[in-house]
Amino acid sequence: MDRWRHTHHSVLWALSAVAIGAALFLVFLVAPREAVMGDVQRIFYFHVPAAWVGYLALFVSFAASLLYLLRRESRWDRLALCSAEIGLVFITQGIITGSFWAKATWGVWWTWEPRLTTSAVLWAIYASYLTLRRAMDEQDRRARVAAVYSILGFVAVPINFMAIRWWRTVHPLVFEGGGSNLSPAMLRVLISSIVAFTLFYLTVLSFRLRLEWAHEQVEQLGYR
Amino acid sequence: MNFFAKVWTLVLKDLSLEKRSREMLSSMSIFALLVVLVFSFSFDLRVEEVSGVAPGVVWVAISFAGMLGLARSFVLERDQGCLDGLLLCPVDRSLLYLGKMLSNLLFISLTELVVLPLCFALFNLTFHLLLLPILLLGTIGFSAVGTIVSAMTVHARAREVMLPILLFPLVLPALIAAVKLTGGVLDGQPWGEIRNWMELLVGFDVIFMVISYLAFEYVIEE
Amino acid sequence: MIYLFAAYFVLWSITLGYLFVLGGRQRRLEQQLASLSDARAGPAEAAREGAE
Repeated sequence: MDRWRHTHHSVLWALSAVAIGAALFLVFLVAPREAVMGDVQRIFYFHVPAAWVGYLALFVSFAASLLYLLRRESRWDRLALCSAEIGLVFITQGIITGSFWAKATWGVWWTWEPRLTTSAVLWAIYASYLTLRRAMDEQDRRARVAAVYSILGFVAVPINFMAIRWWRTVHPLVFEGGGSNLSPAMLRVLISSIVAFTLFYLTVLSFRLRLEWAHEQVEQLGYR
Repeated sequence: MNFFAKVWTLVLKDLSLEKRSREMLSSMSIFALLVVLVFSFSFDLRVEEVSGVAPGVVWVAISFAGMLGLARSFVLERDQGCLDGLLLCPVDRSLLYLGKMLSNLLFISLTELVVLPLCFALFNLTFHLLLLPILLLGTIGFSAVGTIVSAMTVHARAREVMLPILLFPLVLPALIAAVKLTGGVLDGQPWGEIRNWMELLVGFDVIFMVISYLAFEYVIEE
Repeated sequence: MIYLFAAYFVLWSITLGYLFVLGGRQRRLEQQLASLSDARAGPAEAAREGAE
């Protein structure tokens, strides 16, 4: 069983490495140079997938929280925790890359426009989620309360995404109506970048899950 | 007892507790007044048009004072062992939420009644009838989320710090909407411009009340 | 542009930093697990040796 697990992990790491390598090649060497912004626009190929995968991870955490409340199995709680932690890392990356892009194109590191504001709020919510977990010791209660908080917090995600449509904003609208504002070549690179980020997320998630399971084992053994 | 009677009984319980000690309302009001005063001093020295920051100051004062009230409301129950008593009642757990939420709403609103006249005086604002529903909706949002979050922190370490940490990020969209709306109304902006924020606030209230109502039993069970 | 490379650098730092921290925890946990299971097996081994 362990050997299977190890092979399965190694395969994931290998796949991620390949996907990341391919995406990097595409982003820096194949993607066309943008007419107005120049090369700095390539940050877009990191910024968008980071944000998207961050949202995906937080959605997984939300779903796992729901499942935990319904089924009360500890593996859902583990998944909720691990995915939330990784999601927070991706969102951080999204915000930081977005900030660099903002400085390059708008001239400021930050502005309190709706999309950025709600991103900051989302970050704070999941940072608080992790803090809450650290502040509670009883495993069962911690899992339950954290699950409810994750559900409450996740409602912020669609508000975040909708913000870009509800208010007049400086944030570029990439996907409008049916099509996109990107040329097909750029779209291809973006998609490959998203694939690479997603694979990487899955890899790190399975690694983190294993870590959490080992942590629980240690706690249980330690208390005997 | 029917639904409303049960909820009302819960609210009355909190009201009568408060009537006897009077400590929560007075501390909330004094704290809110102090917040307003401090902001009024600090901005007055730097900002020319003080009424511009008024909406923000009002809502900061309301949320800080509200935080105080929320923190006390569940801790009191826990410390006196009342929480167990409440849980033993043959009442749907979600009704406990409603009762708590309404009494928190009531206490914060009473605090607002005390603090707002001072704000109007200090910042030289003109009253507008539309402000009342805005205040109410904003307070409802704050109380809806605050009640369930304070129930969550009852069993956490460092709970006085955890409550603001957990509550503020969740409630921020509602606070922003409330500030925008208050500012818009005080500045005399046409309704069309600020309608979006009202939709956001109402949506926030509805969504979070429903979710909290449903999820409360998971938080409070032993 | 320098912003592009700065962003790239930060991305990798965060990623590798996080993975490094996780790896460290993994190693520590494996050590703890090993020593804990030795401790549990310990008395059993001692009993077996005592009987021999």
